[in-house]
Amino acid sequence: MAEESVSASPVRFESVTKRYPDADSVAVEDLTFEVPAGEICVLVGPSGCGKTTALRMVNRTVEMTSGDILIGERSVKEGDAARLRREIGYVIQQIGLFPHRTIAQNIGTVPALLGWDKERIRARSAELLDLIGLDPEYGDRYPSQLSGGQQQRVGVARALAVDPPVMLMDEPFGAIDPINRGRLQNEFLRLQSELRKTILFVTHDVDEAIKMGDRVAVLKKGGQLAQFATPTELLMEPADDFVEDFVGADRALKRLALMRVRDVDLWTAPLAQAGDPCEPVRTAVSAAEVPYALLVDGEQRPIGWLSERDLAGEKVPSTPDSAADPLIDSDSVLRDGLATLLQSGALYAPVIDARGRLTGVLSVEIVSDFLSSGKAAESELAATERPHD
Amino acid sequence: MIEPATSFAAIDQSFFTDRSGGGCIQENKLFCPGWVVDNYDRYVDPTLQHLVLVGSAVVGGFLIAFALAILAHRHRFLQTPFLAGTGILYTIPSISFFFLLLPITGRGPLTAIIALTAFNLQIIFRNITNGLRNVPPNVTEAATGIGMTRSQVLWRVEIPLSMPEIIAGLRIATVSTVALATLAVFANGGGLGTEIVSGSNITFKTGIIVAGSIAVIMAIVFDGVLLLTGKLLAPWQRKRVIT
Repeated sequence: MAEESVSASPVRFESVTKRYPDADSVAVEDLTFEVPAGEICVLVGPSGCGKTTALRMVNRTVEMTSGDILIGERSVKEGDAARLRREIGYVIQQIGLFPHRTIAQNIGTVPALLGWDKERIRARSAELLDLIGLDPEYGDRYPSQLSGGQQQRVGVARALAVDPPVMLMDEPFGAIDPINRGRLQNEFLRLQSELRKTILFVTHDVDEAIKMGDRVAVLKKGGQLAQFATPTELLMEPADDFVEDFVGADRALKRLALMRVRDVDLWTAPLAQAGDPCEPVRTAVSAAEVPYALLVDGEQRPIGWLSERDLAGEKVPSTPDSAADPLIDSDSVLRDGLATLLQSGALYAPVIDARGRLTGVLSVEIVSDFLSSGKAAESELAATERPHD
Repeated sequence: MIEPATSFAAIDQSFFTDRSGGGCIQENKLFCPGWVVDNYDRYVDPTLQHLVLVGSAVVGGFLIAFALAILAHRHRFLQTPFLAGTGILYTIPSISFFFLLLPITGRGPLTAIIALTAFNLQIIFRNITNGLRNVPPNVTEAATGIGMTRSQVLWRVEIPLSMPEIIAGLRIATVSTVALATLAVFANGGGLGTEIVSGSNITFKTGIIVAGSIAVIMAIVFDGVLLLTGKLLAPWQRKRVIT
C-alpha cells in the first residue's frame, strides 16, 4: 500500500447485494456505481435503506452476499479483512475513540498495527494534530478531556493516519450540534480539497448530502439505487417521485447551498472615504445599482452606510449614521448569505473577502434573480463540476 | 462448650510462658500488652501461612476466572453455565467445602486453598465479564473497523478498558479471602486462624485480637496496593475534566 504518497483510488460497486439470512427482504440490492478517485460520494436515504450496510461492505465489516466492490483494480474480497481495513480510513458517528489511550496514541493506532517505529508514529500524530487544527499538547490528553467536536476531528485524524486512498465515513457529524456540525463540515471540505481522498460518506440528511457530495447516491428502502448524480442534477432533475419527495419541496432553496456568495454577480455600491467631497458621491448614488454609498477605509474595508444626511455636508464624515452591518463573508454559501440578510432586515449587505476588503454588495434581488434565471442552473452545473474549492 | 468467665485454669498451658503475668491473662482481659510483647514471634509463621493461602487463592482464582471469562466472552452461550457453576462454588460454605474435599485432598493447606479459590471464582469472573460487557460498542466497532483482529481488540482495547472493574473484583475477592482464610485452620491449613482458635476451644481475647488485627491490616494493605495498581493501570480515569 502507499504509505507516503497521497493517492486515491476509485471505488466501484458491481451488482452488490446483501441479503441477511433471517430477513425476508434484501438489505442492499444490485448496487452498481463508481466513485471516481478523489471525490466524495454521499450515500443518502431514509433509515433502513441500506446505506450503512452498503458502506460497511467496502471494508467488510459486513460481508456482501453477491457482487463485488473494487478499490482501484483490486477486489475487497481478496485477502484478509483486517489487513484490508487498515488501508481504508473509517470514521463512525459515535467516533469510537479509545478512552484509555491518549489522543496521540489514538491517532497512531493503525500505524502501530502496521508496525511503524515509535518515532515515525509520533511524527505522524503531530502532523495530523496540526492538520486538524489541534495544539500539539492535545496529544497527551485523553479523549474524555476533549469536546465532542474535537473528538470528531481526532476521529478523522485517526482515519487518515496511514494516508489511506479511500475513506468511509458513517454519519460522521451526526452527533454534533448544528452549529459545530456546519463548522466541521466546512473544515472537512477544506481538508479534502488538499487531501483528495476517495470518500464514501453516509448521511440521512439530504442537506448534508448536497453540501458534502461531489456525487450523491440516493437509496430507497430495499437498498435500491434511486439516483446517482451530482447535487445540482439531483436538485434540478430528480429521477423519480421518490427522489423528488426525499430531496424536499424546498429544493429550489437547497440549490442556494451549492453556490458561494463570491460565485454570483454582486452589485457595486458607490464608495467614499472620510474627507472626500460629498458632491460626486451624491451624483454616484443617484445612478448606482445600490442607492446608498458605502464608507470604506484606506484598505477598502467597509465602515458604514452613508445616509442622505451624512452626504448633505461638504465632506464625507468619518462616522456615518449606520454601521456596515451585517457583513457577509464571500466564502459562505449563498443560503447562509441570504439568511444573514433576511435576519438583519437589511436590504443590502457588503460582502468581504478573508482580509475584510469589500468585494461587492449582496441583495435579496440578486438571489431571487439567480434562482429564476436559466443561466443560474448552467453556472451551478459548471460550478459543481470542479470539486469544492 | 465455652464457659462464660474463663478462669486461669481453663487457659491453655502454652500461655503460661507469660512473664509479665499480672492478673491480665488470668482474668482474660480484653487486651494484655505484656503478653503480646513476649509472644509476638508466635504470629510470624501463621501470618506467612496466611499470606500464602490468600495469595494462592486469589492468584489461582484470578487465572481460572480470567480464562473462563475470556471463553465466555468469545462464546456467549457459556456465560450462563459459568455463572451458575461459579455461583454454586461461591455459595458452598467454606467449612463444608473443607469436609467435602477431605477425602480427596486430605487435611492441609491445599484443601484450604482449593476451597478459597473456588469461593473467589464467582466474584472475579463476574467482574471481568461485566468489565468486558461494559466496553462501549462503538469503541470495539471502531477498533474492528480500523483493522484490529479479534485478539487485538481483546488485548488492546477490551481488557485494558475492563481493568477498573477487574481490579475492583480482585479487591473484593482479596479482602474476603483474607477473612475467610482464618477458617483454614479447620482443614489443618494453618494461617492466622490457628491463633484465633488456639488453645482448647478457649477464647483467649488478647490472642484473638492480635490475630484478627493482623488479618485486618493484611486486608487493608492488599486493598491499598490493588487500589493503587488500579489507578496506575487506568490513568485515563483520573482525567475527566473537559478543558
